Amino acid sequence: MKHLFPPLCLRRFLSPLLLLAVFGCEINRESDPDRTFQGLRPVYATYEEIRTIQTLGPQPLKNPGKIYVKGSYLFINEPGKGIHIVDNSDPATPKKLAFVSVPANVDMAVKENVLYVDNAVDLVALDITDPRKVTVLKRIKDAYPYPSYPQQRGVQFECANPEKGVVVRWETAQLTNPKCYR
Amino acid sequence: MKNYLLFILIGLTALAGCSEMGSKDSASVNPNGGSGTGGSMARFAVAGNFLYVVNQHSLQVYDVQKSADPNSLSKVSLGFGVETIFPYNNHLFIGTQTGMYIMNLENPAKPQQTALYRHIFSCDPVVAQGNYAYVTLRSGTSCNTGPNRLEVVDISNLANPVQVNEISMINPHGLGIDGNLLFVCEGDAGLKVFDASDPVKLKPIKTFEDIRSYDVIPNRSVLIVTGKDGIFQYRYDASQQLTLLSTLPVEN
Repeated sequence: MKHLFPPLCLRRFLSPLLLLAVFGCEINRESDPDRTFQGLRPVYATYEEIRTIQTLGPQPLKNPGKIYVKGSYLFINEPGKGIHIVDNSDPATPKKLAFVSVPANVDMAVKENVLYVDNAVDLVALDITDPRKVTVLKRIKDAYPYPSYPQQRGVQFECANPEKGVVVRWETAQLTNPKCYR
Repeated sequence: MKNYLLFILIGLTALAGCSEMGSKDSASVNPNGGSGTGGSMARFAVAGNFLYVVNQHSLQVYDVQKSADPNSLSKVSLGFGVETIFPYNNHLFIGTQTGMYIMNLENPAKPQQTALYRHIFSCDPVVAQGNYAYVTLRSGTSCNTGPNRLEVVDISNLANPVQVNEISMINPHGLGIDGNLLFVCEGDAGLKVFDASDPVKLKPIKTFEDIRSYDVIPNRSVLIVTGKDGIFQYRYDASQQLTLLSTLPVEN
């Protein structure tokens, strides 16, 4: 495996380079005024919208994501939307009990009667003692880094502004003098 | 006195290890309290009184001794492209785009790296059972152009994981193992089942081409599959057949 790594003398430059490659997305481009580019623009949700968690009745399964099993319950994530709670005591006849609307959610885990979920930049603990009436026990704000850049690489984009809310997706747009690049 | 304490500590660690191993070996879910079981694509894992969460670059530890009151404890940096986390036998197996980290939980509040098993740049969930870990490597949009394959890694010495088998795949995603059966999701190409009695020589049993799959949880002879078409549950047993029990279809 050793030959995969650069010689020792180069290694000291490698981590700054890697850091630059991963995080070096903000490059100022102010020399050319009013140039238009095809790029990506952040679509925001307000912190209030994002932090509204509610239990709804059973909802249609649209785009099943990750799954989690605890006792006789099966949890099915609906990426970006929330979690279906299913009574799976008989796997031959699973019954949807409720849908917990958790904006921007993709992951979950359960300990005892507490469901932990990611909720955009926060981590939230939910009481699922009554799956039809899920309540928030605790919210740890800013548990995740703010989503300041898109997944794609080699794109110009409008820099995200945390004061406008949380970026929930990126849309293609004509940008004038975009200041961010990744 | 010191030796005595050390002995107790080792004993406790071994106990914790055993109970964890027991629950994963049978891949069963403890119905009374405790934590549940996620799929191999999970980025959350509860082990004992701790919740482990991976994000792009790091592993975050929360104290959940009081389940209702999680508290942030520590953070471990892990390079970049962290994808999945799988708790097993008092260790965390963390899949990243450059390799699999094995972190020991001797001090569960502050996981320490035991090993890093490196591979080519690719996406890779991981599961483990007995002396072996199973890793899928997938090429895809966010993972550039890595290879598509399943790797079997001997972890009998956790500090020195060694690859013992490699199988070409089409587009592998999540995977799960229970006893001698290994289930590998192949995305749109279906679900593959292997006989893992001898992990060094995995034998393909069957490919279910019509089961579009993203991740699985094998749980007490019931395989739960999540994929584009919905949630499918199958009974599996020693006869190595899958019998469909139920479907929660996608509704449009």
